[in-house]
Amino acid sequence: MKKRVYILGGFQTDFSRNWSKEGKSINALIKETVLETFEQTKINPEDIHSVHMANFAGELYNKQGHLGAFIQNAHSDLRGLPSMRHEAACASGSVAVLAARAEIEAGIYDTILVVGAELMKSVDSKTGGDYLGTAAWYEKEAEGIEYPFPKLFGKLGTVYQERYGLKYEHLAEISQKNYANAKRNENAQTREYFMSKDHACSLSKYNPEVGGIVRITDCSQVTDGAASVILASHEAASDWCKKNNIAFETLPFIEGWGHTTAPVLFDEKMEHSKDNEYVLPFTRKAVLDAYERAGIKGADDLDVIETHDCFTTSEYMAIEHIGITEPGKAWRAVEDKTIHFEGRLPVNPSGGLIGAGHPVGATGVRQILDAYKQVSGKAGGYQIKNAKRVLTLNMGGSATTNVVHIISREK
Amino acid sequence: MGYQIKKAAIIGGGGTMGSLCGGIFASAGIPVIFFGLDNKEVEGGVERAVRQVRSDTIRDHIEKKTFEDMKEFLKDCDWVFEAVKEDLSLKKSMFEKIDEYRKKGSIVSTVSSGLSIENLAEERSEDFQRHFAGVHFYNPPGVLLANEIIYHKNAAEEVKNFIYEFCEKKLRRKNVITNDTPAFAGNRIGFQFLNEALIFAETHGLEKTDYLLGAHTGRAMPPLATVDLVGMDVHKAVVDNIYQLTNDRKHDTFKLPGFAQKMFEQNILGRKTKSGLFKRDTENKKFTLNLQNFKYEPHKKVKLDFVEKIKSFIREADYHLAADAIKNNVSEEAKIIRYFILNYISYSFSLIGEATPLEYGIDEIDKVMAHGFSWMPPSAWVDLFGGPKEVIAMMKNKNIDVPETLTSYKEDKICKIPSVTRYLIAK
Repeated sequence: MKKRVYILGGFQTDFSRNWSKEGKSINALIKETVLETFEQTKINPEDIHSVHMANFAGELYNKQGHLGAFIQNAHSDLRGLPSMRHEAACASGSVAVLAARAEIEAGIYDTILVVGAELMKSVDSKTGGDYLGTAAWYEKEAEGIEYPFPKLFGKLGTVYQERYGLKYEHLAEISQKNYANAKRNENAQTREYFMSKDHACSLSKYNPEVGGIVRITDCSQVTDGAASVILASHEAASDWCKKNNIAFETLPFIEGWGHTTAPVLFDEKMEHSKDNEYVLPFTRKAVLDAYERAGIKGADDLDVIETHDCFTTSEYMAIEHIGITEPGKAWRAVEDKTIHFEGRLPVNPSGGLIGAGHPVGATGVRQILDAYKQVSGKAGGYQIKNAKRVLTLNMGGSATTNVVHIISREK
Repeated sequence: MGYQIKKAAIIGGGGTMGSLCGGIFASAGIPVIFFGLDNKEVEGGVERAVRQVRSDTIRDHIEKKTFEDMKEFLKDCDWVFEAVKEDLSLKKSMFEKIDEYRKKGSIVSTVSSGLSIENLAEERSEDFQRHFAGVHFYNPPGVLLANEIIYHKNAAEEVKNFIYEFCEKKLRRKNVITNDTPAFAGNRIGFQFLNEALIFAETHGLEKTDYLLGAHTGRAMPPLATVDLVGMDVHKAVVDNIYQLTNDRKHDTFKLPGFAQKMFEQNILGRKTKSGLFKRDTENKKFTLNLQNFKYEPHKKVKLDFVEKIKSFIREADYHLAADAIKNNVSEEAKIIRYFILNYISYSFSLIGEATPLEYGIDEIDKVMAHGFSWMPPSAWVDLFGGPKEVIAMMKNKNIDVPETLTSYKEDKICKIPSVTRYLIAK
């Protein structure tokens, strides 16, 4: 049996900040995040053995690559450490966590810093939309198309309409829920934005359709932000607990994970799933793999979900692929409010990508950090009572890279 | 008794501040009535509120009425939010009517940015005074969340608690408790800085002043550009009021400099008249007012190596290096920056106990400067410079008064506002 990998804590920047307007570089974003991580976790930089950096498109947004090397700019004691940069579009953060976990499981290192960062407001929205198109198959799905991703996830909505009769009001309810949750989260980008079910249902110059069924209110945000977590082996976590007078058995750990890759093209995914009750079977497989590795039966064993709601259609899809409902029945969990903050299985209490924000390379790390906060009772205003097991689903492209983590605590 | 706001009245809903504040109520899902001069003015107010919230749906929450309708409809409202022009006699006459038409037990507030709360409610009924407070939203309230609350001395405890909680939870304001002193806390401190910058500009020039005291000194906008945004008429009204009604050690710095008075008289007010200390032409080319002949000249860029160095430190999140550069540079320009920042800290701490209740320490002033002005809070500067001891030494060195309230802080980190580095801007 593999040894457990523990989470000692981490840090998230306030996603409402506009670092570009502040005149700050991506180096500044990484530096502030790393230094705050040490401050919050009371871990010294010299105790870190390896660093993993997640970033989607620094080369495009900031004309800066090689970002793995930038972590050591934050503190001289990080110089000389092995570093890696990970890119898997919007799933970059989770992929970095997978790699860090594997290093600990393999017994290579004991304490690893994972940072995800993206500075996206450096360009106007059309240019940014074009850059995001590189997360799809750019030449075939994005080149020359204005805002390609809302269109791809709008298509997902169309598939749900055709296969299962999706109604827009259910998407509007998901949007309204995630904005409402974000108001509880002091790091959420949209915490002061106006939102109501009426507004989400409205079609106007303030809420136009941007891709098929998808309207502005169905989209996640363009965000400058970063998040971090520190992962540790049993031995390192145990030492840290003793040093900080923390009960070891309360420490969150990675209980399970799943990782799959689907065909890059959205139409190919749909062709592949045309006879499958699941619209995205590779996403479903990542979920099932995580359940199996965690040794749990399914969604009934979960307390909270942080899922990849890059659009409301992706959260709608996730509801059934995670197994909250049967395929084609996600609307039930929306209507009976199972997924709402006070519901049986809250989805995105942080606000998710729609409410909390979506700095692409940071999102997967932010989800793991939020899972850590939930199971250790540190989620503040968006804490779900007695949360002991959280599932995160992070997707890159049009559900091409799928990564699921299950974060739990023993007591 | 338990209070509930089922409907709110915005007195002055056709004006800028009234409509934007009313939009905050409406976006919280509270039905509101905008009372204004006439239908056209109120209609304009509703559209302004819609643009602030960016949703057509809030129109459904807003009823449009004129001041004449107050007699009939004010009794339906649980909160009467007064936001007419900042004119004492106009506000007092409005409160006389409100007192007559309102239902007993309804909350009454004024959005005044500095008039005496006690004076405004003078001669009003006992029930009015029991339910009266200054609720000073900052402009624009959709962006700036600060809300100075000044309770009337006769306000009931349950009213105070209700107003505080309602503003915080329902209207999502960052509440700041202040005393009933001229311009309260934020404008007293903020306009002291702005007016001293104007006085300084008289001898050192507009361009250099805004360059030295720019965004790298912890503010979203340089001081003179801020005066242009606020308008010289408003600036004059605020500083004249403080100059008349206070007599603290910074008294002289509230006196409007001669050129600013002349600008006011010649209607060169800033952005609202499309010409102020600076102006832009149709091609967005920037010009600066020559303070001698009052003609505009092409804007000259100022650039100093040490200031650019500070900006480059901030750009890479080397905030302590930026602070060290401000602390240690020996040039005359560095002394000026140091003076203004230390003076801002000194004046802010000196108003604890006067503008804000003593028991809150610097916290309320920090909140209003951060969330009302988008300036680095004074205590965040103390933290960045190395703590109170270090700052006191810097003040003594510069012959700046050391407030007793600063000496009472023993800890190295005072500021409770998160992510204050956002106020240090590398532009």
